[in-house]
Amino acid sequence: MANTTTKSGAVMVIGGGIAGIQSALDLAEMGFYVYMVEKGPAIGGRMAQLDKTFPTNDCSICMISPKLNDVGGHINIEILTLTDVLSVKGSEGDFTVKLRKNPRYIDMSKCIACGECATKCPKKVSNYFNEGVDTRKAIYVEYAQAVPLKFSINAEECIYLTKGKCGNCKKVCPADAVNYEDKAEELSLKVGSVVVASGFDVFDPTVAETYRYSQWPNVITSMEYERILSASGPFQGHLVRPSDHKEPKKIAWLQCVGSRDVNRCDKRYCSAVCCMYAIKEAVISKEHASDLEASIFYMDIRTYGKDFEKYYNRAQDAGVRFVRSRVHTLTPTTDGNVILEYLDDLGERHSETFDLIVLSVGLTPRVNLPTLADSLGIDLNEEGFIQTQPLTPINSTRAGVFACGAVNEPKDIPTTVMEASAAAEAAGRVIAEAKGTMTKTRTYPPERDIKDEVPRIGVFICHCGINIASVINVEEVVNYCKDLPFVELCTNTLFACSADSLGKIKEAIIEHKLNRLVVASCTPRTHEPMFREALAQAGLNKYLFEMANIRDQDSWVHQKEPVKATQKAKDLVRGAVAKAALLEQMYQTKMGLTKEALVVGAGAAGLNSALSIAQLGYPVHLLERSDTLGGNGLKIFSREKDVRGYVANLVKEVESHPLIKIYKNSVPKTSHGFVGNFETKCQGPDGEFSISHGVTVLCPGGHAHTPKSYLYGENPKVLLSLDLDELLASNSPEIKKPGQTFAFIQCVESREPERPYCSKICCTHSIESALTILDRNPEATIYILARDVRSYGFREKLYQEARSRGVRFIKYCVDHKPEVVAGPNGRLQIKINDHILNRPLLIEADYLTLATGIDPTPMREEIVEVFKGQLSAEGFLFEAHMKLRPVDLATDGQYLAGLAHYPKPLEETIVQAKASAARVATILSKDHIMVGGVIAVVDPDKCAVCCTCVRACPVQVPKIVRNEKDPALRGHAFMEPAMCHGCGVCVSECPGKAIKFQFFTDEQLLAKVEALIVEKKAKPA
Amino acid sequence: MSEFEPKIIAFCCQYCAYNAADTAGSMRLQYTPNVEIVLIPCSGRFDVILALKAFQSGADGVYVAGCLEGGCHFLDGNIRAKKRVVYLQNELKKIGLEPERLAMVNVSASQGPQFAAYIDEFAGVVKGLGPSPIKKQLAA
Amino acid sequence: MIICERKPIDELKSFIAGKKKVLLVGCRGCVTVCNAGGTKEVEILAALLRLDAQKDGNELTIDEFTLERQCDPEYVDELADLVAKQYDAILSMACSVGPQFLSRRYPKEKVYPSLNTCFIGGALAHGVWAEHCQACGNCIIHNFGGMCPVSRCSKSIMNGPCGGSSNGVCEISKEVECIWHLIASKYMDEGRLAEFAPLQPIKDWSKSRDGGPRKIVREELVK
Repeated sequence: MANTTTKSGAVMVIGGGIAGIQSALDLAEMGFYVYMVEKGPAIGGRMAQLDKTFPTNDCSICMISPKLNDVGGHINIEILTLTDVLSVKGSEGDFTVKLRKNPRYIDMSKCIACGECATKCPKKVSNYFNEGVDTRKAIYVEYAQAVPLKFSINAEECIYLTKGKCGNCKKVCPADAVNYEDKAEELSLKVGSVVVASGFDVFDPTVAETYRYSQWPNVITSMEYERILSASGPFQGHLVRPSDHKEPKKIAWLQCVGSRDVNRCDKRYCSAVCCMYAIKEAVISKEHASDLEASIFYMDIRTYGKDFEKYYNRAQDAGVRFVRSRVHTLTPTTDGNVILEYLDDLGERHSETFDLIVLSVGLTPRVNLPTLADSLGIDLNEEGFIQTQPLTPINSTRAGVFACGAVNEPKDIPTTVMEASAAAEAAGRVIAEAKGTMTKTRTYPPERDIKDEVPRIGVFICHCGINIASVINVEEVVNYCKDLPFVELCTNTLFACSADSLGKIKEAIIEHKLNRLVVASCTPRTHEPMFREALAQAGLNKYLFEMANIRDQDSWVHQKEPVKATQKAKDLVRGAVAKAALLEQMYQTKMGLTKEALVVGAGAAGLNSALSIAQLGYPVHLLERSDTLGGNGLKIFSREKDVRGYVANLVKEVESHPLIKIYKNSVPKTSHGFVGNFETKCQGPDGEFSISHGVTVLCPGGHAHTPKSYLYGENPKVLLSLDLDELLASNSPEIKKPGQTFAFIQCVESREPERPYCSKICCTHSIESALTILDRNPEATIYILARDVRSYGFREKLYQEARSRGVRFIKYCVDHKPEVVAGPNGRLQIKINDHILNRPLLIEADYLTLATGIDPTPMREEIVEVFKGQLSAEGFLFEAHMKLRPVDLATDGQYLAGLAHYPKPLEETIVQAKASAARVATILSKDHIMVGGVIAVVDPDKCAVCCTCVRACPVQVPKIVRNEKDPALRGHAFMEPAMCHGCGVCVSECPGKAIKFQFFTDEQLLAKVEALIVEKKAKPA
Repeated sequence: MSEFEPKIIAFCCQYCAYNAADTAGSMRLQYTPNVEIVLIPCSGRFDVILALKAFQSGADGVYVAGCLEGGCHFLDGNIRAKKRVVYLQNELKKIGLEPERLAMVNVSASQGPQFAAYIDEFAGVVKGLGPSPIKKQLAA
Repeated sequence: MIICERKPIDELKSFIAGKKKVLLVGCRGCVTVCNAGGTKEVEILAALLRLDAQKDGNELTIDEFTLERQCDPEYVDELADLVAKQYDAILSMACSVGPQFLSRRYPKEKVYPSLNTCFIGGALAHGVWAEHCQACGNCIIHNFGGMCPVSRCSKSIMNGPCGGSSNGVCEISKEVECIWHLIASKYMDEGRLAEFAPLQPIKDWSKSRDGGPRKIVREELVK
């Protein structure tokens, strides 16, 4: 198959932020080769800059850092930094890409990221990574966890490159990595498809003069504030204001700066994330200083995502003040404070002084996006983002070019991650037949079995140029370590990680018959994979390796204490050698898998998921409990898109696809197994049947909530949103009657203690319905009674259109809900307090539509029971990680999409469903799965069958199983190697000491601990 | 007599605490050399026997560092570790060893400065307590 | 199973005060399962005692060994070789049956219990155990909705609840649920309260402790 296609099996991903990273990792695991093109010197994007993330307050860099390393170390991802896209010629499946790789002036193969160059560089420049709050040098790395961790020179600022003088960095570089002669080079690549994930810029508030951003130091942007909060930021995480480094006592966030503002900023859309990040910043600030007063000035609070509304409620409980007002005037005081003047809801004027003003700036298209779009031959929309269509939300205007993340529209991280996986699905699908044609695999010589050998340990102690050697006396450490037990060879090396040294290490393993290796250098976090690779190439099991971190955790942090640092290096090597002597060969085993998927639920999510998986080439079993495919989509009417037609068409495609088997009137009853090998028993109309599958996608959906309030069910003129949709879809004459008044009440039985979440879609849907009514009956009177209008992203434009066309929006608060009674003339009377007039209004309406939000499926309990999932407090399926794994369930090999995850509009359901197909393909593309390694293993003979591990495991992996030899014998605990996450909690609690944690055994750790403390020099006889 | 230099063993989880220690390194934050870091996959792998063995070998202090609460990459390993630390502190107290010689802290990967400060602070506490009585006996 | 709890370290220290050579014996039966006396607990206690001795400069050797069970002579026999090494004290980490069996088998040894034997019960959750039986020798839980008033009522009353029951908890502590409340609720939920109305006859306590230490002899098994 591979050589019959003219398509390329490679994909270009543009942008190295979280969107590009997720796309690239998915594509590489799906069997495609990825070129990741990044404009800057390192990948990481905006997430690397953020302090914490909402709504979990997880540390942003902690979350993304492992992903950066995954990308950096992936054999099928090639990172091209400092690279611009010049042109993309050809067509889908067969593009020729021209790139320009700009000079770094640093030889990446030599740079060891020691930072000596930056220490000696005399040129200070504004630090854009810290949003200009502080300075850095002209030679720099963006941040400590950067990938690739290599320095680069900012050519416009460098004294040598601009004036021909200085040259300090070249002089001090211990690795001779500086190359002033570096030139830009042009590259040409063949790729089958392109994913654009180049992200966004933050709005520059200089143009909005009201805010005096460029004039007053204590008016800052939210991105600057993010860096100030960060422990690795300009003030090392001390919350101080820029002007005088004093701790602020009173901070105001001003929302919608550069968003929802045509007059001052020419930005009509809502930036979708600012409400949440402002709340997060306020909450985190109060954690820094509990007496700090935090106030957020807003127009509508848009906390529409999963767990957002609860986060908002908690912030209020924590004392964050929310003021509904657009601030009109800012005035400075002599001591650096700022006076805000604003009008409250009732029109009363207030004046209040703050120490620090944070402008919640919006997301704008990248400055260079028009140029990039030109090179790619794709269109931008009127807002300057990449043009897509609602029902094909990741397709650009050119076939084979896909776009994901904030490059399409402002959006939060989970939605970005979903889009990134969906873009991977799309980019992979169009070149599905070329899968595996460009990917590389590693081959190794056969492994030498060392099980019965006495340990022969090789120790390499790295100078890291002068990084280690300028503090630690390396020769002394070498001499000391020569005599440690089992050490066969101990030597120093200038750079252990250089190709030259790695070669010597491999030679030494063979020549000296070494069977364990210790490298004392930098951190295993970044370098362990490289050294393990060297072991494997030398025919040694890769786990027979231990590192001593004598740079990051010794020479760098004890620079002024060389004697103690040298002593500590000896200790660390001694500890590493002691553990190394006890290391054992460990093997990952290949396990076969069923290359078929089970999709549960055939609404828009399930249909899309099934179809995409099938189009990627894998058989699908599609289970639907009713006798109809299509779900809620069959009932929706939308002005912007033909939903019913779309769903009907989707059903047709699914029904006619040869790889999809549909089971109607069928429900899952029990499911067993693990990733790659699941077995699910189902109940169908003709009895029970069983399905073998490698992965599962759960799309059981949700439905519109049925309310008890506002006369619903009692008065025929009170409708639910879907009832109105039916009137609109059937072109009912009721809509066109002259003089008709239509009212909508939003948040009906939503955002209240019983259902404390926002259903995300209702505001926009009611506005769309209102506009459809006006299209057909321009004289109609329309009222929308809302708490906050949550038309996030580009949906804001519909809100603006509705207002300009006379739809009346009246805000109410949850303590003063509208009252509805049947009027004398068959009309409905709605009483509400107008928030601007502050007086009661009586609205007479012919129809009242209740926007009730989405309930999770009534099947949810059964679903989590069968598939061993978890539900959130609101009854939605609980994903593996709210931020970075929004499509994965906690159990490996299980995914989710659609309303069962959380209420969302159709376009986001489509995205999540397609994303689930990409995630599925990362498993099914392989011929086997590798299991084992650094995991917990039970010794059945020692197991007391006490259930401690079963109860202690955070992911419910251990089970008590029957004895394989004879079921009559006592059983024992068993951790399926394919499922163990490798935390070691069970090992530390097992009362019978029956569980061994491979690579971190008690014996290994105890030996290390003892050796670190006790000086022992005698070699065994 | 030369100043007392305590020996401290710090068990650091791979995702956050060990990463924070590296971050402190790349920021060149200087802290006491009295600490030796042992990498463990998750603070949930911290086992009371590891601390007991460290004390038996003559450690003056034992430190456990995990992810921020709620931020454990294995969900609740750090919470379990904390409970074990509290349990062992009580036992140490009962055998007349200062429970302050054992402590746990939570840091995120970016909190290099906090990590360095915590280590110095803990080393200060241990220094204040003086050499561990076990170490004194081992030396005698 | 039998639920035990390790004795406070002070008490254990007093057992071995002045002694130089100690054997710590664990049990792989109930006490492993209830996390009180398995290999792991033996290891931890040994380490604590060593640390204590080291701290004070006392010479102390502790050997560790965990038997399959301490309540069967055959397993207890397995210790013979070790015991021959002449320990100053043997600490049993089993329920109180263990130290008794050890004492009987090795009469010259000073055997101490390291655990307090608390009750017969089961695990409610990870780290939580509760009493469910007092070994009264005449089980009648079928009369009480599957719940045992002998062990789970503070007063072991047979016709409850008493006046001390309020809001489902016992007057002795809010932590103690009133078993009679649970029993009555269960019958009420099932609509069978009437069935439950007759007074329970006086319980036959003859098989309980009233007849002194108990013994079971299965003649068909006796050799």
